[in-house]
Amino acid sequence: MAKPVSKATWLRHWPRALLAIPFIAALWVPFYNRLEPTLGGVPFFYWYQLAWILIGAAIVLIVYGIETKITRVAETARAPLNADGTPGDIL
Amino acid sequence: MTLNVTATIVFVALFLFVTWIGFVAARWRKADLNILHEWGLGGRRFGTVVTWFLLGGDLYTAYTFIAVPALVFGKGAIGFFAVPYTILIYPILFLVFPKLWAIAHQKGHVTAADFVGDRFGSRYLGLAVAVTGIIATMPYIALQLVGMEVVIGALGFPTQGFAGHLPLIIAFVILAAFTYTSGLRAPALIAVVKDALIFITIIAAIIIIPAKLGGYGAIFASVPPEKLLLTPPSGDSLGAYSAYATLALGSALALFLYPHSMTGILSSSSGVVVKRNAAMLSAYSFLLGLIALLGYMALASGVDKNSDHAGGFALYGPNYAVPALFLDQFSSWFVGVAFAAIAIGALVPAAIMSIACANLFTRNLYKTFMRPDCSDADEARMAKIVSLIVKVGAVVFILALPQAYAIQLQLLGGIWIIQLLPAVLLGLYTKAFNAPSLLAGWAVGTAIGTYMAATQGFATSIYPLAIFGITLPGYAALYSVVLNLLVVFALSPVFGALCRGTAAEPAK
Repeated sequence: MAKPVSKATWLRHWPRALLAIPFIAALWVPFYNRLEPTLGGVPFFYWYQLAWILIGAAIVLIVYGIETKITRVAETARAPLNADGTPGDIL
Repeated sequence: MTLNVTATIVFVALFLFVTWIGFVAARWRKADLNILHEWGLGGRRFGTVVTWFLLGGDLYTAYTFIAVPALVFGKGAIGFFAVPYTILIYPILFLVFPKLWAIAHQKGHVTAADFVGDRFGSRYLGLAVAVTGIIATMPYIALQLVGMEVVIGALGFPTQGFAGHLPLIIAFVILAAFTYTSGLRAPALIAVVKDALIFITIIAAIIIIPAKLGGYGAIFASVPPEKLLLTPPSGDSLGAYSAYATLALGSALALFLYPHSMTGILSSSSGVVVKRNAAMLSAYSFLLGLIALLGYMALASGVDKNSDHAGGFALYGPNYAVPALFLDQFSSWFVGVAFAAIAIGALVPAAIMSIACANLFTRNLYKTFMRPDCSDADEARMAKIVSLIVKVGAVVFILALPQAYAIQLQLLGGIWIIQLLPAVLLGLYTKAFNAPSLLAGWAVGTAIGTYMAATQGFATSIYPLAIFGITLPGYAALYSVVLNLLVVFALSPVFGALCRGTAAEPAK
């Protein structure tokens, strides 16, 4: 019994590996500790890190999207009438 | 400094407005506020949008708005570590905390100490988590007052004697009153106003100020070159590189262990709300990055050379950079808006922090050790009273002691709070470790981390770790929590064997 469950968990969670990317980008200091190329007068050091806030958020969104989709597909297959894939309330 | 009348009127009007909201909040999604999870967690019913405002208002505090640009203003690039730190907090939030939310919801946990104590079956481990949380949070509340004090001073109020402290005391009496009556609902609603004001202020600042100073190119050109980048490694030391990376990683790992972040997370209505916020909260991170740049704008506009601000800088040091910049660049009424944003930005986290401390004290000290049989109403009443005591403590702290103490204790707070990482993180994923080893790891990590800060005279949390002939200056919190983990890994099998030994005896 345990084996199929862990396989399903793995399938559902593989996109989480993508979340390692922001760590590499943010912690590899020698790569971005430079002035050039500047962007609109802003040195690389600053706009690179600001840009990674947005890229990091996009990665989290993508992972969330893929996971939600996988979960929904899995649950629809199991119980078509109880596909509670739209999670939570909005306010 | 003379009183800036227009700014003060706008400031006071906005402050009165949020006070009204704070009291009205008690009737929002009405429920019995004599139950702890209604008062202290808003009934766990906050959806994606409210949680976004609440966590944003909670994590990006008044002190952040003052201190981050002050650090960039004073020390340059190293102060920008707040940006990689905010890049890292959201993957961590996404990976770890929906699971914690689910367990806490299922078992009715209100605090991290509830979770850890229950998971490892040790109320003493829960006690360690609770005490660490309270002690690490107290100076954090005091620092919110520092942020508020700076803007009140910048409005031109007298800063000396009892009259100088009066505005701060009034603000905190108001805060204490609405927290007492409305619980977590008050900061949740006020956070909406606070965040709106902050967004308006910062967007105005990043458009208007660079336009006046000749664009971003001119701003960066006027920053001394040695401040623009981190000092590259030289000799056998990794210098600012390892300091920058460890500060970012250590702060990111510590953030969600703070009781006030935990309260914000647990008050949301589902794990999915937490996941969505892991992406959406980055709007605040971006804002924080821009706020950090205000430090350079202050440098470029030469606020420190303006004789009008000499008094402010003498009193508050680099923390005066942003208020001085706003005073120079904005018209009076907008200065009122901006300063109100910062002061209200102090109220929201201070309220949540005091509620979080009150929850910890009530659940994990009072109920666990003193009155296990107390009723729900007793529990909620105790929490309300403790939230008052915590705030009085913070006010006394800031009025009686020099600011430097609050800042040093906050440094230590980061080192102490990160020691909860093994218990919380390992507790979520495995039962392979036991309470005695986690307690030992916690004690070792706390002691070593405090010692590392002590060797630096508590002036900095960067410890020059010498290993294999290389010096790695880095955040003491990160170094000490690694030791903490090693102790847990090493001792768990030992204590496990001992426990099995003693458990097996009476069975035979």
